[in-house]
Formats: sequence, C-alpha cells, structure tokens
Amino acid sequence: MEPTENVLEIRDLVKDFPGVRAVNNVSFDIKRNTVHCLVGENGAGKSTLIKILTGVYERTSGQILLNGEEYDPHNPRDAKNQGMSTLFQELNVVDQLTVEENLSLGVEETTFGFMRKTDKTNKMINVMNSIEPSIKPRQLVSTLSVAKKQIVEIARAVAADSNIIIMDEPTAAISESEITRLFTIIRSLREKNVTVIYISHRLDEIFEIGDYVTVMRDGGHIETKPVSQIKDRSELIKMMIGKTVFEQYTPREDDCLDTILQVNNISNHRLNNISFNVNAGEIVGFYGLVGAGKTELARAIFGADNYDGEIIFKGKKLQPDPEKAIAAGIALVPEERRTQGLFTILTIRGNVPVMNMRKISHNGFINATKERNAALEYVDKLMIATNSIEKEAAKLSGGNQQKVVLSKCLFADADLLMLDEPTRGIDVGAKSEIYSLIRQLSKEGKTIIIFSSELPEVMNICDSIYLMYDGSLRTTLRNGCDVDSENILHIVTGGE
Amino acid sequence: MEINQAQKPFVGSKISDESFITLFMVGVLILVFVIASLVVPNFYKPQNIFNLITNNWYVIVLGIGVTFILITGNFDMSVGGNVALTGVLSVYFCQGVNVSQNPLANGLGLPYVVAVGLALICAMGVGAVNAFFIAKLKVPSIIVTLGTMMLARGAAQVITQGAQRNTSLPEAFGVLGSIGIPGTSIRLPLLIMIALIILAYVFEKKTVFARRIYLIGANPEAARLSGINVSKYLTALYILSGLLAGITGILLASEFKAGVSSRAMGYEFDALVIALLGGVSIAGGFGSVLGMFVGAIILSVVTSAATGLLLSPDWQYILKAIVTFIAILSQRFALDKRKS
Repeated sequence: MEPTENVLEIRDLVKDFPGVRAVNNVSFDIKRNTVHCLVGENGAGKSTLIKILTGVYERTSGQILLNGEEYDPHNPRDAKNQGMSTLFQELNVVDQLTVEENLSLGVEETTFGFMRKTDKTNKMINVMNSIEPSIKPRQLVSTLSVAKKQIVEIARAVAADSNIIIMDEPTAAISESEITRLFTIIRSLREKNVTVIYISHRLDEIFEIGDYVTVMRDGGHIETKPVSQIKDRSELIKMMIGKTVFEQYTPREDDCLDTILQVNNISNHRLNNISFNVNAGEIVGFYGLVGAGKTELARAIFGADNYDGEIIFKGKKLQPDPEKAIAAGIALVPEERRTQGLFTILTIRGNVPVMNMRKISHNGFINATKERNAALEYVDKLMIATNSIEKEAAKLSGGNQQKVVLSKCLFADADLLMLDEPTRGIDVGAKSEIYSLIRQLSKEGKTIIIFSSELPEVMNICDSIYLMYDGSLRTTLRNGCDVDSENILHIVTGGE
Repeated sequence: MEINQAQKPFVGSKISDESFITLFMVGVLILVFVIASLVVPNFYKPQNIFNLITNNWYVIVLGIGVTFILITGNFDMSVGGNVALTGVLSVYFCQGVNVSQNPLANGLGLPYVVAVGLALICAMGVGAVNAFFIAKLKVPSIIVTLGTMMLARGAAQVITQGAQRNTSLPEAFGVLGSIGIPGTSIRLPLLIMIALIILAYVFEKKTVFARRIYLIGANPEAARLSGINVSKYLTALYILSGLLAGITGILLASEFKAGVSSRAMGYEFDALVIALLGGVSIAGGFGSVLGMFVGAIILSVVTSAATGLLLSPDWQYILKAIVTFIAILSQRFALDKRKS
C-alpha cells in the first residue's frame, strides 16, 4: 500500500455528553512522521479527542481515517492493535518486573507454560537499545527514573509498529536534562516512521519540538498550522483564548478588610515559599494549570499535608491536622470527589453530617430525626436530584455527588470554605448552580477560596485571583480591573 | 438538563442493605436448622436450641471486636492467642507463692480480683501493641495481628511450659465461670455475652463513635479529610478487642479452673468466619453485630449437626467449610443482585 501523506484525517468529529458538546465538528489532518502538538485550555476538548482516538470513548458522529482507512476503535486494546499507542501521565509499566519483561508484557510466547525469548522480544530489546542504550534489559523497572520509564514505554510502542504515539504531558514530572533527552528521542522517532501527537501546557516546548500545532477551544477546532509560521507564544495564546468574554463578574460593592487567613512562607515538596492574606467575606481564586501546585496548597492550608512555614487563621496558628482545621472553621471540598470527598458506599443521609456530627447528636448519641432532617434540608437546598436520602452516593451523577460533598462541607458551618476544582467533570447546569451557591455563601459572609484550572471559572466568580506556576505564586490580580486573559495565560504557562 | 426534575425526596421506606443481609442470613439459618432437624434426631428440642446459643458464647464475644475492626477495613487475628495468654495470666497471678516444688504450681499469690484486673490490662496491652503498629506505623493489620497472635500464644506457652497451670488456686477462681441463675443452666458467661451483644447493638446503631467506624471503613482518606482522627479510632477498637479477648480468657480459665496454653486455638478464624457469615464486608464499611450473631448461630447449627450425625471431627471440618462457603457466596450473590 502506498503510504498516504496524512497518517490521520479527522472529519467533522462530534462527541456529545449529556448537556455538553465536548467535541464540536472538529476536522484536521496530521501529516505522516511529524510531531503534531495539540494545545488548548483545560476543557477545550483535547482530552476528549484523545480518548476518542484511543478507543476510550465512542464518537457521536464524524469520521476518522488512519492511513487512509476508516478507523473506529472500540477499546484501547483495539486502538493499540491498529497502531495507536499512548503514553499516559500515569505510566503503564510494572515496577516489579524487569525492562525485558515489561517490553514483552502481553505479547509473551510460551513453551509448556515457560516464557520463551522470541524474535519479538529481541526486536523490542533492539529498539530499546537504539533509543536508549543505558537501559539494560535485565534491570528492574523500579530502579529507573520516571523519564527512563517513559522511554521503556516509547520503545514498546515503537516495537509494536505503532504509527502514532500520543504523549500526554510527558514532561510534567521529569527534570530539565531529561526533557532534553526526551526531545532528542522524539525527534529520532520521525526516522522510525512514527508520528507523535504531543500534548503540553508548556508552550515553549511546542516551539522547540513541534512541526505542526493544532489549537482547540471550547470543543472546536481553531487552527492547524506549521509551528514555523507562528510568530511567538502570544500568538498561540491569542488563538487559545480567542475573544472569550468573561461576563457575569460584578465587582463587589463592600470592601472586605478584616484579614481572616494569613499564609506565611509555606513550603513543602511541591510548594515553594508561598505567602498571601485573605480577607473575610472575599472570594479568592487560585488559577494555574495542572501540576501548578494548587491542590497541594489547598491540602497544606487544610492540614492534610505537612509544610514548613506558618498559617494563621482568625488570629491563631493552625496545626497541620484536618480535624483541628475543621474545628477552627475551615472546610475543604477535595479535588478527587470519589476517592477523597465522598463515602460512595454510604447513603446521602450517611454522607451529609460527617464533618459535624455534633449537630445531629447529643452526648455522643445520634438523633435519628435530626440526621434525617439534615439530609432532607441539604437535598432540598442544593437541589440534589434523588428520590430518596437513602440512595447510595455511588449511584448519583457526578454533579449530584459533588453537591453531596458540598453539603458535607456546608454542614460543617465553616467560615472559610476551600473548593478544589469544584466543577470538574460535571455538567453545565450543575456548574452554574454551584457558582450561584458560592456567590450566595459569600453574601452570607463566608470566605471562599477556589482552586481551579479553568480560567473562566475564576474570572467568573473570584474577587481576586492568584496565579500559580510550578509550585510558586506568580502574580495577584484584582478581578474587574487589571485582568487580561492573555497575560494570565502567559504567566501560568511559565512566561515571565 | 435533566437535573431539576427531582421529586420531593422521601425518607427511604425500603429496608437498608444491612437489614437485608441480616434477614437473608436469618433465612439461611432457618433453612440450615430445618435440614439439621430432619436428619439429626432431637435437634429441634428447646434444650438443644439453647445449647446452640450458649455453647458459642466465647466466639460471639470475640466476634464483637472482630466485627467492628473488620468494618474499619482491618483484621484482628490476635484474639485467640490473647484469650490463651489472659487465661494463663489470670491463673499465674493468683497461684500461691512457693507452695510447691513444681514450678507450674507457683504463682504471684495476688488476690483474685487483682489477678483479673492485671490480666485484663495485659489483654488490652496486646491490643495496644496492635494499634501502635497498625494506626501509627501503618503496617497492614493482617501482618501485625498474625504476629501478636503468635507472640501472645508463645508467652502463654512459656508461662505454662507448654502445658497448663491448674493447681494452688484460690477458692474464688472457679466462681466467674460457673456461677449462674440457680435452677437453670444459664451461667454468667452467657449473661455477659447477651449483655455485650445488646450494648454492642446500641453502640453500633446509636453512637457517633460507631458511625465514624463505618466512615473509616468506607473511605479512610475521605474520613481523614472529614476531620476524623483515624488512628485514634483504630487504637480504641484494638484495645476494645483486646479487652473482649481478655474477658473471654478469664471466664474460660475460671470455667475449667486452669490456664491452658493451647486454649482458644483457631478462635480468631471462627470469629472471622461468623462475621463474614453475618454479612460483614471484608473490604470494610459494611456489616453489623446482629448479623455476626446470626452467623455464629449458623456455624453453631452446622457444627452441632455434624456432631449429631456422628461424623468424625475430620469430616466436620469439611462440612463446616462447604456450608460456610456456600452461605457466604449466596449472600454476596443476593447483595449484588439487589444492588443492580
């Protein structure tokens, strides 16, 4: 077969989720043996597109041609067999096995149940050698650095005759020198007849490694261009944010002057000397891309992680202990709803009161009526869609689960409410309900801190915005006056 | 958007999963009992039914602690060893000083009340050791408690030189295990078991403490982020489980007027099995003391029927294994079916 010029052609691709069109009529081509970058803000539709390509999601409509032929993978294995490999952020290697065993994982051949060294394994080892001779086949994978584990995965993909390797933020967790090495390898892949789809939030990398770049925004395709035709990062940023208007935010009339929270020189493994103050009644936003340290900051303030430095809340020094933070009047809606926020096997009734059992008990004994009423009250107040408070939390939709977590935190009667990615993965309707709830709480005098990787979210509701990059605080903005979304994106992608 | 179509939520009228499992196991119990009554002569007689409950008081008492610990998502395999150790200690502490050439007849000569108190403290000490490794050092509970299981039994063997201590005991020693309601065969251990089951039931259903045990088992990380001091609760439960083992050990020693190092061999497994039979989830967050009690009676019916059928002890094990296995499988199957 004569190889086509385009390894992948995407035509009118659409993906609908209940209430949202995540990918909206996207069409573009990817040229054979190039490095094709995919950029866009969080929520632009990159991940959904990638998940369709790798067979995790089924498309709603549209067409994809791989090597000129119809391509419709039904699951990730199917996609892999057809030549589409992915390097996820969570690496897919088994630490306890050797490099060689990892390479042959899933393609082992056996004689009487014993593993046999086959041509396939030998080929993989050869590919491995040609890419990175310093990795020995007999070495345990657990002894390798993250960067080298990535290389093992790349070798596996190359040896499996993948046409396309998708790399999702491969530089997020590796050092500068390792990045240089990775880029050399990525360039060498072009000669090995491999096309790379490269996703990164670090825009400088696109200029360094990319041949082409596709920009997505709000589920739609904005532009596909050779990187050489793009002047600088600000042109790229312009394409990413477009003319998005951040409406709705109205500067507050009253001034909040009393400091409620002082964070002084907080550092830990992911945070770098962070200091700021929050005034009572304010809505404060921390914006940064994935991995900027927002979650770590939220967890440090709440006392879920240790830190050096000092946090003063309502004039008293906080101990790093969630129990004490809650007692002092701080509640956290954690980043991961299902694993950190919710007791999925318990009912709504069982979830709502857990952060403040005192309100439904007397001398350590639970008052069943108060408990039921608490659940009914919050189901009503937050409009949780359920037919019974005895419904298992696991059976609720994402938006309703998040409302249960919010109920839990509101029930704690905290003065400071911290929300980490409060609207991640929930539909538009529930999103706007949560926003109006946040505004309502602020009117009632609560202090709110939002940690978010969605710019419209913080622009929409926060009075002041802190920008984070790589564990550090970069800039503070007052919403409503000096806000320039281009400048914001410039800062949170590592620009000075 | 389909979200705002919520009808007015109601307070659930259908029974909870927990009550469902308990009732399901009551059904299994009735079935097993009917079968046993058909094949074993006189099995249905009131005296035999009474024995089914009384003969297992010790496993049920141990089962209370084991159940709560299972609900947190942890194990306590040290209870059997702890029973043996406490029993032996309660003897050793009150045996006369230098009364005989035989070292096994000489003890510390303490009053019986003091001996019991000290033995209970030692039993809780075993629980505290478990708690230290599990809650503070985060060592998996199965490893820690298998270790203390052998440690406790080993200590009992050292104190008894691998056998037992049964001489030079004060008069008071045999009282606890044999005192009862005059004119009936109801003895103190049975009364203690009934009292503990009632207490545990109220504790489980009504207290904030118990509710947090379920939260810890359902999701330890979410529990921590909800302000629950997980290690405090685990520590309290392991000490409680140690105390229950201690009470059992003292009562058994008193009943037999001896501290035997091989006492309560395998009870940790029986306690685990009855909890699982009663629907307690091995993954934590789900289960009840009442269920465990039903599980204990099921096991008791099977054991007793096997004896009644004059099966050799070897075959009894196999019968017990088969019934337990089928019962737990059918229970899990029923729960899955109900949930889907």
